[in-house]
Amino acid sequence: MSSDVRFTDFKSDKQPTWCPGCGDFGTMNGMMKALAETGNDPDNTFVVAGIGCSGKIGTYMHSYALHGVHGRALPVGTGVKMARPDIEVMVAGGDGDGYSIGAGHFVHAVRRNVDMSYVVMDNRIYGLTKGQASPTSRSDFETSTTPEGPKQPPVNPLALALASGATFIAQSFASDALRHQEIVQQAIEHDGFGFVNVFSPCVTFNDVDTYDYFRDNLVDLQEDEDHDPNDYKAAEKVILDSEKEYQGVMYQDDESVPYHELHGVTENMSDIPEDAPEDAMDLVREFY
Amino acid sequence: MAEDLNWAIGGEAGDGIDSTGKIFAQALSRAGRHVYTSKDFASRIRGGYTAYKIRTSVDDVQSVVDRLDILVALTQRTIDENLDELHEGSAIIYDGERSWEAEIPDEMTAVDVPLKSLAEDAGGAIMRNIVALGAACAITGFDVEYLDEALEKRFGGKGSKIVENNKEAARLGQEHVEENYDLDHLGYNLETTDNDYVLLNGNEAIGMGAIAAGCRFYAGYPITPATSIMEYLTGRLEDYGGHVVQAEDELSAINMSLGAARAGARSMTATSGAGIDLMTETFGLVATSETPLVICDVQRSGPSTGMPTKQEQGDLNLTLYGGHGEVPRFVVAPTSITECFWKTIEAFNLAEKYQTPVFLVSDLAMSVTEQTFPPEEFDMDAVEIDRGKLVDQDEVDEWLDEQGRFRAHAVTDDGVSPRAIPGTIDGAHMSTGLEHDELGRRTEDQGERVQQVDKRYRKVETAQEREEWDYREFGDPDAENLVVSWGSNEGALVEALGYLEDEGVDVRVISVPYIFPRPDLSEEIEAAADVIVVECNATGQFADLLEHDTLTRVKRINKYTGVRFKADELAEEITEQLAAEVPA
Repeated sequence: MSSDVRFTDFKSDKQPTWCPGCGDFGTMNGMMKALAETGNDPDNTFVVAGIGCSGKIGTYMHSYALHGVHGRALPVGTGVKMARPDIEVMVAGGDGDGYSIGAGHFVHAVRRNVDMSYVVMDNRIYGLTKGQASPTSRSDFETSTTPEGPKQPPVNPLALALASGATFIAQSFASDALRHQEIVQQAIEHDGFGFVNVFSPCVTFNDVDTYDYFRDNLVDLQEDEDHDPNDYKAAEKVILDSEKEYQGVMYQDDESVPYHELHGVTENMSDIPEDAPEDAMDLVREFY
Repeated sequence: MAEDLNWAIGGEAGDGIDSTGKIFAQALSRAGRHVYTSKDFASRIRGGYTAYKIRTSVDDVQSVVDRLDILVALTQRTIDENLDELHEGSAIIYDGERSWEAEIPDEMTAVDVPLKSLAEDAGGAIMRNIVALGAACAITGFDVEYLDEALEKRFGGKGSKIVENNKEAARLGQEHVEENYDLDHLGYNLETTDNDYVLLNGNEAIGMGAIAAGCRFYAGYPITPATSIMEYLTGRLEDYGGHVVQAEDELSAINMSLGAARAGARSMTATSGAGIDLMTETFGLVATSETPLVICDVQRSGPSTGMPTKQEQGDLNLTLYGGHGEVPRFVVAPTSITECFWKTIEAFNLAEKYQTPVFLVSDLAMSVTEQTFPPEEFDMDAVEIDRGKLVDQDEVDEWLDEQGRFRAHAVTDDGVSPRAIPGTIDGAHMSTGLEHDELGRRTEDQGERVQQVDKRYRKVETAQEREEWDYREFGDPDAENLVVSWGSNEGALVEALGYLEDEGVDVRVISVPYIFPRPDLSEEIEAAADVIVVECNATGQFADLLEHDTLTRVKRINKYTGVRFKADELAEEITEQLAAEVPA
């Protein structure tokens, strides 16, 4: 890895087709800066993207990348990291991609604690399909498919992560560029699965969870001297607090052992040793 | 005197039927005898009828037949279920002290052995099946020393006491029969040879092939009958620097395998029936992102959950056509346990050479059948690994565009693009399930779309020219009667040839291991007076393909009872079909 990597090296020459003002611009910039700041370069980074507006990120960034099928970004990232512990893996997704169709994978990726980061652009709406309710939409949020609101409570992704045994849970706001970058950086540096839910406002379809709403309501845990991210109970308290919106690192278990250490998966699996087949002769002997 | 011996043990699931059968099969294999096994089992953990059958001969045996010579019956149902295969000379070993009163047809030899109490004498009731094995040795005159060897192999890890107790149990069973019955071995003389054989099933052969091919990553989700591939690889793959993951579902399993493959590791997933349905979502992504991936489908009876523990070859169309849009792929179907090994290796090579999904299609019969082979059939020295156009640091430059961007989906004459794996400097690129340009960037440009679709299918055309999509052939090559088959039916067909020959019927058998691309059989079919296609499904999926290829109607033998073809049954069916009219 070279030390002179700039965050623009992670930028592709493709112009984003996101709506002007979309939160995903800020989210992506923070991700690129965080990757550069943590000493990664495009040739040693693998970005996996899901489907939806957030999924386009793989196109606008420059690195090894796969833009997969809806909801399955985490399993792909898991496979990449298991085969290549030497590669930095970042998975990007949206609230629909990650908490609806991909919710099952989310729970299991969290509990596997694979050493990668997962950044979810949460705009509380389906944007690319033009404005339907998402799993994080408020219960009274009126959309084309929920004219009277979904009438069911939104998924709390942070609580889901905590209940699944997460070792790093954080939340950031796309518009608070520096804090967002810092938080993603911490997720990358975390020895295990670093999960960041990012408030990334949709200016076209969501007129409730707006930039102004988050600016007015966001509480930064960094400013709360009482909040100790290593304290599970404290994390539980802020995560389950439905009255406020928080940003910052809610929970971090510094003692956690990441998957590759626990399972001894530390080899680069891309090579096939010259004598691999001959070595396998022992396998035949087993059947005598 | 019978040329070969058909032995079975049956009882309830949980009675240790499987391991007892395996021990006896291993003993016979150690004695240099050929073994072919089959299993009847139900989809439940405990209770319900289950049986392990062994056919053994000094000659090669490749199928089951409709005959049972010695039956160890732990329940009455075992006798009832097998009545049609039992004959006058059959011997039935049972425990007369048990609560059920065995109803054994008069003409058969009833061998009453107090299995449980003799096992208790040897150290524990759990060994009653081993007592039965000792009894079976006495009936057939089979040297119990070979059984001792198999017991050492099986229980050696549990300490010498366990091994000795089991040997004693076998001895007590043997002595009981010798002292109480004058059977003169029922005319059997189980000849032994000095041949060393290995004994393994199809799923073990697939797992072994994967390791030999340099597979480093496997993700799967438990499902009958594919699970034993994962069980085999667990622990062993780690010994060879790889890793096995039990994923949360099949969607995850195939996507994890895809991730590992994109990262540069040879990677595989395996499933069956309902699991392959779930994986179908990702087939297109594997193909458009041009990721080398081996996807194994061990077929069982469908549709839906169907009959999970029963034989069928009904997924051919799914592996051939599954996935929306048009998905270039290869479909390879091993025809024997040895071929399970070799075709797995070939699947990995094809996947990397052409950067496509390769379906390795097996079936339940092959997956659970243990069979003996000379170990040379799994000659690791003959394994060749071809990683295709994997570019290293020095070659990357050739594939950069004017702006220095890596053309991961470069349009080439053979349809195959260079492949750079993470860490290759200047090779960074994105791949996507969206239609894309040479750089992997989304496009809806009509010209680029057509270029990329053509490029992907050109890989198949290239492979059709470069690779050998041949077939295996048996019987009389000049015979007018042609029987075509795919998958595990080969063994039964080859044996059926012997029965047909006795009746004066000459048959040429073609067994096809490649479903797509597949060999052109036009000439062979043209030359034949009668063409019969044999497969374990109701509609004749492979027969449809042949008719499509050759514009010729073929006769069909379809079996979808959930039970594999038997050699003698197949011979009869072929004779019947030969006499029948060609369908209009």
